[in-house]
Amino acid sequence: MKSSAETILNLPSRFRLRPIRIAEISVLIFLTIAMGLPLLYLLSGSFNLAAPGKAAVYGLDNWVRAFTDAGTVSALWMSFLLSVVRLIPAMILSVVFAWLIARTDMPGGKFIESICWVAYFVPDFPLVLAWILLLDPNFGFLNTIAKSLPFIDAALFNPYSFWGIVWVHTSTGGIWFKVMLLVPVFRRLGATLEEAARVAGATTTTMLWRITLPVLAPMILAVSVLSFIRGLQSFNTELLLGTPAGIYVYSTKIYDYLQREPRAYGEATALGSVFLVVLAVLLFFYWRYLSGNKKFTVVTGQGYSTLRVKLGGWRYVALASCLLYVAVMMLLPLAFLVLGSFMRRYGFFSISAPFTFSHWHNLLADPIFLIALKNSLIIAGATAAGGILLYSAIAYLLVSRRARLAPLLESLCWVPHVLPGILLSLSVLWLLLATPLRFFLYGTVWGIAFALILADSPVTTQAFKAGLLQLGGDLEESARVSGAGWAYTYRRILLPLLAPIAAAVGLMNFGSALTSISTPVLLYSHESRPLAILLLEYSFTGELERAAALGLLITLIIGAMMLIGRKLGLQLSGGD
Amino acid sequence: MSDPVLEFRSVMKRFGALHAVDDVSFSVAPGEVFTLLGPSGCGKTTTLRLVAGLEEPDGGEILIKGAAVAAPAKGLFAAPEKRQLGMVFQSYAIWPHLSVFENVAFPLRVRKEAGETIRRRVLQALEVVGLAGLAERGATQLSGGQQQRVALARALVYEPAILLLDEPLSNLDAKLREQMRVEIRALQRKLGLTVVYVTHDQAEAMTLSDRIAVVNHGRFEQIGAPEEVYEKPATQFVAEFLGRTVSFEGKIAKTAAGYTVEFAEGSGRCALSGLTGSLWADGIKARVFTRPEDVEILPSGQDQSNRVAGVIEQVAYLGDRFEYHVKAAGVSLVLPAPKKQRFMPGDAVALALDPARLNVRPMETP
Repeated sequence: MKSSAETILNLPSRFRLRPIRIAEISVLIFLTIAMGLPLLYLLSGSFNLAAPGKAAVYGLDNWVRAFTDAGTVSALWMSFLLSVVRLIPAMILSVVFAWLIARTDMPGGKFIESICWVAYFVPDFPLVLAWILLLDPNFGFLNTIAKSLPFIDAALFNPYSFWGIVWVHTSTGGIWFKVMLLVPVFRRLGATLEEAARVAGATTTTMLWRITLPVLAPMILAVSVLSFIRGLQSFNTELLLGTPAGIYVYSTKIYDYLQREPRAYGEATALGSVFLVVLAVLLFFYWRYLSGNKKFTVVTGQGYSTLRVKLGGWRYVALASCLLYVAVMMLLPLAFLVLGSFMRRYGFFSISAPFTFSHWHNLLADPIFLIALKNSLIIAGATAAGGILLYSAIAYLLVSRRARLAPLLESLCWVPHVLPGILLSLSVLWLLLATPLRFFLYGTVWGIAFALILADSPVTTQAFKAGLLQLGGDLEESARVSGAGWAYTYRRILLPLLAPIAAAVGLMNFGSALTSISTPVLLYSHESRPLAILLLEYSFTGELERAAALGLLITLIIGAMMLIGRKLGLQLSGGD
Repeated sequence: MSDPVLEFRSVMKRFGALHAVDDVSFSVAPGEVFTLLGPSGCGKTTTLRLVAGLEEPDGGEILIKGAAVAAPAKGLFAAPEKRQLGMVFQSYAIWPHLSVFENVAFPLRVRKEAGETIRRRVLQALEVVGLAGLAERGATQLSGGQQQRVALARALVYEPAILLLDEPLSNLDAKLREQMRVEIRALQRKLGLTVVYVTHDQAEAMTLSDRIAVVNHGRFEQIGAPEEVYEKPATQFVAEFLGRTVSFEGKIAKTAAGYTVEFAEGSGRCALSGLTGSLWADGIKARVFTRPEDVEILPSGQDQSNRVAGVIEQVAYLGDRFEYHVKAAGVSLVLPAPKKQRFMPGDAVALALDPARLNVRPMETP
């Protein structure tokens, strides 16, 4: 007994294996390969004239070809324009929503907040389909109604247009997430700031314009910039609504290049690289703005505000407006998705027996669907499990302050946060094609899971990090001093304490893996096609009714998972 | 003196450019309460964490019961779990997913004790800290004071070589803090524990400790019994950190009997006890320090020895005592005085100094 203790004590440190150092280095190597190498391949690939996997021939032809194509430049411009234009109404609406929820006596504020929360998790692709069912010039329900009105002969609405895309975005990604981000900000505004304005004699309006909004302006701007950057990454809506009208954004343009025969890898990587540069510049200014701005400290002022603006009779009007918005933007499209999935031929109400179960029946009996379901479950399961294992370890390293390279590690983790799904897909594709990994991962469910795990890195790492920071090092250290080794401490103390976070992010990542289109779209093969891609194919081939059924099914699976999460009492929101 | 339980030999710990622990040496005897006292950020907690093995030193040697547990020069470092210590964290670090019983049982389970032994010793430990009957309670259902006791029971349950306490009372309210202070001291005596205690609260350090180390900027300014560090502070920092001080400027005068100090503006003089030989040159400037409570305020009178003349400037009534602002020898002092005396602003007074409780520092080289 004593001798073994002595051996441990006297082993010179340079020969001692330090598990933490080994873990750090191996994680770092993995992340560099997984995140850095694809980007490097992407950049170098844009100068490579040969197809991936062939002997490289370097030159500028890709760039020349990409930029002499008028479509490329206009796609970049369109990305920018769409992102800006749809940001404006979304920001105004979400600031109003957040203010009503957090700072006024509007009844049902909590309820509206939780609706935003649920709406955020509704996958966007089914919603886009639903809006097609509502707005299509030929069979869209709202156009049919409009045509029956006097003086209107042609279709009133057209989703396959610039404004159609803006409108549908306001329904899908629009305001839900921004409200979730802004409500805590509005709540945390130091009560005394507003109270002091009141005591100084300000009316509600003066206080709002002169105190509340200026104080919150930096945060609102930060959320706007973040939304703008995220907006640039959008793919699904533009693919379904923009392509038929010839409106391309850079992400759909990349997709378009790779749909050609033969695949135009060169142009795609050149365009991707340009966008990377634009993104890098944007991010540089965003981070500098965030870190250089000391005004933020005000927002974390002491004391939650109890002061709420009294709206009088208007509070019911406010509530009704919020509910109306939710009804039009969320309930209406979902209802038509249900309707569409049960109609023999969507839009034809007057035929005999217009309703049928046959689309559901055909869908569920389709062997392709069953394979896709199996693929999706494997992909989502592997993504959730892999993400938990990898990112809990990384978060532990980041928090333990024993990792000397923590800043580097952390910045690598943030890469996918700003990397659009299509670019991640493209760079992983390049990695899988150009390295021996092609024999194991190319075209398989595991390759898709690999890309999705990478995509989950920022949120998952931050969730674990926040959890670990909240636990504090003391809980772990006291176990060590109590005599427990690292493994025992991990098993008995850290793992049980992190389990709720692991379950929460696991569910979230499972859900996003299930609905992601832009990440697997360049990586799947016929054997590894997941449900979301099948949905894409149905909608391309015009099988809208079957697509509606499948979209609804995916939405239901997500809904069920959220219910499970609620039942487990998980805190899924990033709110506080 | 028996062999030390804990020994630091020239231990160094740096965080970047900061010397958190700077060439520190001390030893702790069995059954002793050794307190690290200092302001926040002085390195006292880092010192404790070095003992626990939660930090690796950059230099020197740490020995527990005569065996080196950390000696970077020899490439030797023992992990915390190999050191047989008990530690109470400032936050208590009660594991929220375990019951009170399981929290306390953890160190025994790690050591693979038999179930019956665990049960007996956990209940015994809970009894000792006054939590008998709460064993099955969830850890999060406890009050701050109870959590503190659980942390203590958990640290004591396997009879560690040293009990490490990191500001264990700082999160309790004032009344409970005083009570726990007394209880910890009683427990330590009863069990004969060797304790290393970290605090920034001097009252806590005074009542609990056998010896106090006053820590500043990673260095130990003074190590000594509570009375010693209070009455005979080795440095200016120690004097000011432990309680309040008042000081007068004056000149050293060498006499046949020894030294006296003559205060500025001819306001008086005071003998300096116990100083003989040729310590200082005649007539050099010096500063004399003493504790406010050692200065007695008397009506101005005939007796001039060990007195400084002064004038009352302000009076504050604090309920249990008066506080006088007195101008004397060119400086303003704040002095407490019992209620039985009463002076009014403008009164001329004599401040009686106690030669045995003066500390003198020359202001120029002797």
